[in-house]
Amino acid sequence: MERVHRRWGAAAMAALLAMGSRRVRAEDVPLEELRRELHDLQGQLEKLQGQIKKQQQVIDKLSAEQPKAPPPPATPSGSTAADEERLKRQVTEQVLRRMQPALAAANKTFPSQFNPAIGLILDNVFSYSEKDRGDFEFRAAELGVSASVDPFARGYAIITGSPDGFDVEEAAIVTTSLPYNLTLKGGRFFADFGRLSKFHDHDLPFVNRPTALDRFIGGESQADGVELSYLVPLPQYLTLTAGAYNKLGAANDRVSNTTPRDFSQFTYLGRGATFFNLNDANSIDLGTSYAYTPEVKLDGGASRHLAGVDLTYRYVPLSQASYRGLIWGSELLYNQEDRPVGGFPGATSALSLARTLGVPADAPAVTDPPPLVFKRRNAASAYSYLEARLTRRFYPGFLFDWAQDIDHVGGDTKAYSPYLTVWASEFQRFRLQYTRLDAPEGNDNQFFLQWTVILGSHVHGFRDR
Amino acid sequence: MTRFLALPFVLGVGLLAVSATGAAKLKVVTTIPDLADMTRQIGGDQVDVTSLATGVEDIHAVPMKPSFAVRLNRADAVVLLGLEAEHAFLPALLEAARNPKILRDAPGYIDCSVYVTPLEVPTRIDRALGDQHPMGNPHYNADPVMAKEAARAIADGLSRLRPEHEADFKKNLAAFEEKLDAAIARWEREAAPLRGKKFVSYHPDLIYFAERFGMEPVGTIEIRAGVDPTPGHIADLEERMRREKVDLVVRELHYPAGLAETVARATGAKLVELPVMVGGVPEAKDYISFIDYDLQTMLKAVKGS
Repeated sequence: MERVHRRWGAAAMAALLAMGSRRVRAEDVPLEELRRELHDLQGQLEKLQGQIKKQQQVIDKLSAEQPKAPPPPATPSGSTAADEERLKRQVTEQVLRRMQPALAAANKTFPSQFNPAIGLILDNVFSYSEKDRGDFEFRAAELGVSASVDPFARGYAIITGSPDGFDVEEAAIVTTSLPYNLTLKGGRFFADFGRLSKFHDHDLPFVNRPTALDRFIGGESQADGVELSYLVPLPQYLTLTAGAYNKLGAANDRVSNTTPRDFSQFTYLGRGATFFNLNDANSIDLGTSYAYTPEVKLDGGASRHLAGVDLTYRYVPLSQASYRGLIWGSELLYNQEDRPVGGFPGATSALSLARTLGVPADAPAVTDPPPLVFKRRNAASAYSYLEARLTRRFYPGFLFDWAQDIDHVGGDTKAYSPYLTVWASEFQRFRLQYTRLDAPEGNDNQFFLQWTVILGSHVHGFRDR
Repeated sequence: MTRFLALPFVLGVGLLAVSATGAAKLKVVTTIPDLADMTRQIGGDQVDVTSLATGVEDIHAVPMKPSFAVRLNRADAVVLLGLEAEHAFLPALLEAARNPKILRDAPGYIDCSVYVTPLEVPTRIDRALGDQHPMGNPHYNADPVMAKEAARAIADGLSRLRPEHEADFKKNLAAFEEKLDAAIARWEREAAPLRGKKFVSYHPDLIYFAERFGMEPVGTIEIRAGVDPTPGHIADLEERMRREKVDLVVRELHYPAGLAETVARATGAKLVELPVMVGGVPEAKDYISFIDYDLQTMLKAVKGS
């Protein structure tokens, strides 16, 4: 500090002397005047020194007010290896955490992300029966695609290739954001009738669709139409469904699926389904369905009523759900419609007969239609199966299947089928089944070995539970 | 006459007042109890929380009960682990619940994995590699540091739904983090004997736990995630355990005991049985006691092995 003072003072004095010396030489003033000037200069010098001192004081004060420099970092010797390790980890985690949203966003920028999810299911069965002998049956390759349409709907399609050709099994639009707990479905889909009629063949718990369903519904409950479903806002689970379709059942030949018709010739459906949680491990699903066709051409213009009750009991111990459990599923169906006495003539298939009765507009004329006398027929059918989950892989089960003849021509059909499903993984399954068939057309012993795999996208649907 | 007219009005106002007070709480449904505990702590008196799973289940095999759809139908928010941990039941339940407020990308869909850095993100997606999770291993709830990230996502989600209480949620989050930080510091000290310890588990759902506490997962009893083993795989695993001196076999409590016991017996390893969620055992009442239980059980096994 003192050195700074001295420098300022010397510089000022030199400047003043230089100024003074120039003036003396230039004007040649008297000595007294020079002394006076020198005195003035001394005064100015003192004044300057005073100012310098004051400025220095200000500088010192400001310097004192400035924050102190941070302390030097701790020496490495002061920290332990564990602390360093933790610090490194924290820094790494911080960096990764900052990067993560960007990485996630980058993953979602591929245009192909908008493509639907695609899955393919291959279903093959080798069968041997005493009547029909052996057969390697490529049953189906089923392509499934699904995606959101927009914020209001999603869409899906199931396209099946089989020895019979290609078929659109389902292609439907489903709303996702209707108010009041409503869901509307339109297109071709499996109508909400019963339980297993909504399962695709490969999703069934056994190799073949029970005769009880096949005969009364006509395979899967495939339907072209619309369906409105309502989740009743109660603490108890209760859904109500109403639907209107061209017809119900993929193999239902009573009605053409492609011909325009009166409203009286549509099929109308109502269903209620509920669920009872007996305790954490035990539960019951209960549903009742009713399908009404006011006028069926094939039945001479009479109405058809098809009703069903389905009950599913499940034992699923929560802590062992993936490898222990039991399921008991049963359905009872009742059908009432006009049927020809003695059944339809064997030489005429139901569909061609439907054509003769005028269902399709362009049906070929038949010169000599068989005279038929219709009579109101009631018939019932049922199946019941019990399946245990012994391990993650082995699911043995037993199916009992019973169906009356809708035409009351023959007797009842009964089938007893023990089976064993072996899951190699969630996506590959083998199934061995024996069926003892007691049918009016003859008894039979049948053996089946099914091999089913899933490729690509696969979702766990609520419908298939 | 005026009284007659006034009565419905008074009743209406009363009902509105009652419903306003009743509607004060957000109805939150979480997929697992760990998230329910965090949501309660962060949401405080603003939330009414239930969990779909009780904690004893396999997260990949939670039964898809229709009664869950009812709960989700009435929910203002669903809180999930994410990374497709709940793929076996949640997407179908959300569809059955018909509640647009909690559909994916809606404000009420609170995915707790948004801040999580996943481990085991596959470099190749192929079912030959098992039941893969394309976004990475989803079992991060076993790592208390990742749990802090989940808690942050919950606070964000609740703030989205109730912005007027954002300050409360942040305060509660800070309190939860502080509590968890203290526990983490303690756990990291206590876990010193676990460092470098090798173990085999049934399924890769302790990867995050191992990473946090310095353990080394050597393999799984499952041949691939989600695929039950073959005898050949078990023989290889036992051989590897002997070669690498693995002396711990972990059975997550929702997997069958027999095979894990067999492997442990064959290799002379100690069998450790662990829950993977809050509620998995009676002692795991909340998140901190869950991690406490797993850590102490593992420590006991290490000290005894």
